[in-house]
Amino acid sequence: MSTADPQVPAPGDPLTEHPILEGRHSDRAYSESLLAFVHRPPSRTWWALLALGLAGTVLLTVAICMTLFVGVGTWGNNIPVAWAFGITNFVWWIGIGHAGTLISAILLLFQEKWRGSINRFAEAMTLFAVTCAGLFPLLHLGRPWKFYWLVPYPSSLRAWPQFRSPLTWDIAAVSTYLTVSLLFWYVGLIPDLATARDTARTPRARFWYGLASLGWRGSAKHWRQWRTGYLLLAGLATPLVVSVHTIVSFDFAVSQLPGWHTTIFPPYFVAGAVFSGFALVITLLLPARKAMGLEHVVTPLHLDNMAKVLMATGWIVAYGYLQEHFFAWFSGNPFEIHASEAEFLGPYAPLFWMQVFCNVVVPQVFWFPRMRTNVVVLWVAALLVNVGMWTERFLIVAASLSMDFLPSSWAPFRPTWVDWSLLGGSIAFFCTAFLLFLKYVPAVSVSEMKELQREVDASLEFRREQGTRPGGAP
Amino acid sequence: MSRHWVLGEFGSSEALVAALKDLRARGFEQLDAHTPFPVEETFEALGLKRSWLPLLTCVAGLTGAAFAYVTQWFTNAVDYPLDVGGRPLHSAPTNIPITFELGVLSAALTIFGALMLLFGFPHVTHPVFDVESFRSASVDGFWASVAVDGEDAPKVEAALRELGARQVSVVEEGAR
Repeated sequence: MSTADPQVPAPGDPLTEHPILEGRHSDRAYSESLLAFVHRPPSRTWWALLALGLAGTVLLTVAICMTLFVGVGTWGNNIPVAWAFGITNFVWWIGIGHAGTLISAILLLFQEKWRGSINRFAEAMTLFAVTCAGLFPLLHLGRPWKFYWLVPYPSSLRAWPQFRSPLTWDIAAVSTYLTVSLLFWYVGLIPDLATARDTARTPRARFWYGLASLGWRGSAKHWRQWRTGYLLLAGLATPLVVSVHTIVSFDFAVSQLPGWHTTIFPPYFVAGAVFSGFALVITLLLPARKAMGLEHVVTPLHLDNMAKVLMATGWIVAYGYLQEHFFAWFSGNPFEIHASEAEFLGPYAPLFWMQVFCNVVVPQVFWFPRMRTNVVVLWVAALLVNVGMWTERFLIVAASLSMDFLPSSWAPFRPTWVDWSLLGGSIAFFCTAFLLFLKYVPAVSVSEMKELQREVDASLEFRREQGTRPGGAP
Repeated sequence: MSRHWVLGEFGSSEALVAALKDLRARGFEQLDAHTPFPVEETFEALGLKRSWLPLLTCVAGLTGAAFAYVTQWFTNAVDYPLDVGGRPLHSAPTNIPITFELGVLSAALTIFGALMLLFGFPHVTHPVFDVESFRSASVDGFWASVAVDGEDAPKVEAALRELGARQVSVVEEGAR
């Protein structure tokens, strides 16, 4: 089966201390171990979690029905706070989606070897997160059944959408992002669905995986085109990620509201997106890795790298906070200065300081190498970052709106049960979709692992020929 | 004469590549390899040409972007001019986001469509799936396939066995 070689560093990098793959496995062993969870009947834990997720999804459905049948008035939104939880959740969810594309596409272009073990997880997360994100602007429209008015179709109204409004940009950005993510994910999945088809234990499973893999035969002619197509999709997805969250930030930055009207927003939003997305990847990957027995492909090296990315993007986000407040002060504009001071000391101050703690202080624990590979510390830190990032989005949306230019029009925002149900319900829906994904789809790219094993073998072979110690500098 | 595929399984990618080169030297055409992961050497051994997919993608992306820009300009500046706070009717900067997104969308959809056309997918009933042992092609088997007319099949079979194939099978088009 496999002979354990305890120290196989990442190929091409003799300085890493953790191996990129634990042990040496045959192709058949990879096919079996990575698809074991798919072919096994689901465990009790999985059913229990699914039941919880479905219960939450029911709650989401109830909240959506309330919104549709009674109206947006069931939310806590008011004037001036016309955007609150809805847009907060939208920005937060779509940000979470970005880490998936980043891991997949950007690391593929950089030829980072450690992406292969986690990219499928992350991409599935992207799909479900963008689905959740798309829900909120639609519900927030007030008349969601008229959403198609935002698309330039030749209507009998003889009116066209107003393309100078960021709302129309959002529609283009989110729908493009969802479509491209889906295509990228599916194209990468086809070979593994074929492996699932060929290792299936029941005729029914073979039939469905056979249908889903479209007749993939692993032909060299197909592989070569597949590779080119996959790389091209990655090349397209990379600028797409940056553009989508930039457009989301334009929703705010294009206006004149103090606290929104700033040029730091696009890069600041993109960095925050990657930051929160990586946090959620870690949050979901650690339990899944344990439950599915993936320790041999998701090694401490991956945890270490993800912790480093989390810390780096955390610093970019911290820089964004600094810039935001520095420019408010530097502008000399009393309205901007007030918005900044209100964050530090105003009604939302506790939330602001909580956000600073979660997003700036917590990631600093990763300066210590031991903490980067400590599963518990990593998981808790990632969870705190998720909370911190949601808070940040909320503060940007609600705090700025609740205190604008005229004190006479200030009003606080109080969420209702519908607001909370939409947030909690969308999280539950996301988890349900994710559980189903883990059960029915190969969660780690099987063909990429086999390829990676060849590379590790070749690099070890090279090192033996050179006569250097593994792990030592050549 | 119906088409036949002669399939031979090899134990490793190196053995497969050597066999493919040999088969090409013996003058067989319509060769293919079936592997669980992409093997660079098989592409060379089969003499596959460069893909024209990037060029197609570029054209599709630019077309989509142009379409998006023209649509925005036509709807907001020509067909239904709407004065919003005295802003210019044809304002290039506000047209850029949608132009970019639609360019990416067209390119991505084109890639997917082109891949499906190139592969001839969906094609779940390909004759090679009749061979139960061929299922190893997506797990750990390295297969060579030669498409020939029925009368040449025994010759190819003999050649594959000679080159060290672990097992050889023949499938026929439309046998089912």
